[in-house]
Amino acid sequence: MTTLSQTPVAQGLGQGKRAVLRRIESRIVDGAIGGVSVVAFLFLYVPIVALIIFSFDRSPLSSSWTGFTWGWYTTLFHDTFLIGALKVSLIVAVSSAVVSTVMALMSAVVLSRLAFKGKRAFMAMLFLPLLVPEIVLSVAIITMMSRLGLSLGYGSLIAGHIVLTLPYGTLLLFGAATRLDPSLEEAATDLGCNAFSAFMRVIFPLLLPAVFASLLLSFTISFTDVVMSNFASGVGTTTLPVYVYGLLKTGISPEINALGTLLVVGTLVIVGIIGMRQLVSIMAGQSGRGKAGPVELAELNAESN
Amino acid sequence: MKHKDEKGVEVVKRRTERTGMTSRRNMLTRSIALLVLLGGSLGGVIAGGSGASAASKGSLHIYAWAGEVPATMVKAFEKATGITVTVDTATSNEAMLAKIAAGNSGYDVVEPSQYAVQELKQQKLIVPISHAKLVGFSDEGTPYQSPSYDTGDKYSLPWLTGSTGLIYNSTCTGGPVNSWSVLWNPAFTGKLYVLDNELSAYITGLQYLGFKASSTNKAEIAQATAALVAQKPLLAGYNSTNSAQLVASGQACAAEVYSGGTTAAAVATNPSVVHYILPHAGGTIWVDSWSIVKGSKNVSNAYKWLNFALQPKNAASAAISAQEATTNHAAYKYIPAKDLNNSAIYTPLASAATADFILDPGSALTYFNSGWLQVQAG
Repeated sequence: MTTLSQTPVAQGLGQGKRAVLRRIESRIVDGAIGGVSVVAFLFLYVPIVALIIFSFDRSPLSSSWTGFTWGWYTTLFHDTFLIGALKVSLIVAVSSAVVSTVMALMSAVVLSRLAFKGKRAFMAMLFLPLLVPEIVLSVAIITMMSRLGLSLGYGSLIAGHIVLTLPYGTLLLFGAATRLDPSLEEAATDLGCNAFSAFMRVIFPLLLPAVFASLLLSFTISFTDVVMSNFASGVGTTTLPVYVYGLLKTGISPEINALGTLLVVGTLVIVGIIGMRQLVSIMAGQSGRGKAGPVELAELNAESN
Repeated sequence: MKHKDEKGVEVVKRRTERTGMTSRRNMLTRSIALLVLLGGSLGGVIAGGSGASAASKGSLHIYAWAGEVPATMVKAFEKATGITVTVDTATSNEAMLAKIAAGNSGYDVVEPSQYAVQELKQQKLIVPISHAKLVGFSDEGTPYQSPSYDTGDKYSLPWLTGSTGLIYNSTCTGGPVNSWSVLWNPAFTGKLYVLDNELSAYITGLQYLGFKASSTNKAEIAQATAALVAQKPLLAGYNSTNSAQLVASGQACAAEVYSGGTTAAAVATNPSVVHYILPHAGGTIWVDSWSIVKGSKNVSNAYKWLNFALQPKNAASAAISAQEATTNHAAYKYIPAKDLNNSAIYTPLASAATADFILDPGSALTYFNSGWLQVQAG
């Protein structure tokens, strides 16, 4: 305030010119960024729009438009194999997301506040599956099941997906847990909480957005997985992506476009209802970290319920 | 000012305590309940996953290619026999082999392609089929009779068949095509596709040079590699998904494709322009067959399935829904003429007779692998 009011007039003029230049410059930069983001969005969404359009195309070949039909949706709902595969995928994705998030939460809370011997090695081991090719993990699972004399099925499939999703969930929750102010837990203990109730009443509610993010991320990874599912599935547990991949042999019919459209719409609805709020609150929490005090965060959580 | 600020904070805090706390507690109990519920069901699923669902007439677990067992056929079988059937989808012969080889797969009946039959037989993962228990099996007079990969049909019963051949758009090529050499014609640069699969791509290279597609000769494979390297700049790409559609729409001129499915649909849209052929060098044919897995707990149900599949009407229904050819000649009378006349489904027997079977290349696979690396790098 004081510096501005004391500036001589001549200098003020120079500053004005510079400000104009800066404004032009920023406009160019803004325009370029805008252009790039438009191209990026087109790149991301044009294939999805094409998929949706061709799901209504009468032709069995998705290369030219021949007329409007709901027929592929009718075929889709009568395809018992496909519906069965969808069911399997949902069961596996929900189970593995819940289990791996619980495991990730426990390890994240411990790793973020306890120092112990070999902690680094332990963390490296937690994140190692991120670096190992999925096909190797898949073969490892199938070999292990065969050595143990266990048959493939939901058990091996969910176990395999937990291996895939656990590192992501742990990374997410570990990040969120380390950002928590340790004095919050101390304060809770001072005010009469034991360790468990301090976790339940203070730590867990503060981590809730990250827990939801981990659930969503794990669900998505599991739901779209092909490689692990291809190997770890057994009798009666063909997942949706494996089924669709198998259809490649005879060529993919527009029925799959219809399925894709329904999945896109379903995802939009889910994201619209729960995901967006959680993601926004996490993003806001991350960028404005330190400014967003525990009270505001707690409020966000309370509101989102 | 200051005073008000403090009050404001206080108000916020209290509100959080009242509304926030109760809803948070609710949330906690809810999420714990959910966890317990899911944990329970997960345990149940793991425990129950291995055991067969106990139906009155037992069960049957089939591992087959997607689309080659219609749901209507499964339902009809369940209704006729009272057996509960599960059908799982195979994505490749290799994945099928891996799963069966791991043991305890739980599958009773599998549907391997010809070279996978060879492999499963060698590894003793499938059992001989007792022809005495079969009703109505005959493959006399067909190209699939006692095939080279399984003489006497001891381990496998042919189910569906198709070929790897050439689809072309005669408007684009300017006339009929009868040889793989079209895929080396510089006039069609950027309008040619080859299958995105190592052994399938080598079919074009080997047969173009006049060798057998099932060759295991190192020098022949090396020459084919050189041919594929020379071919690569002319291609629009390696494509296993929609090249038939691109040829039908005229965006591409010719492509190596598998018969049936979308290829058949592409030919059917415009049969006077879009053609599917087995090149005069032969092309290749594949056969998917039924085999019984060693260690199956439902062998008698497996035979019931085989006999059900041998009934001409059932064989025809599968072929129609898959848009592939049945190996069962008695089933032809139930196949609509438009399918029988579609060369991309029922390849004329005369040309099928000269086609090669793609077999397990055995130790020659290393020549293919290193050659394919060269092609991809070139």
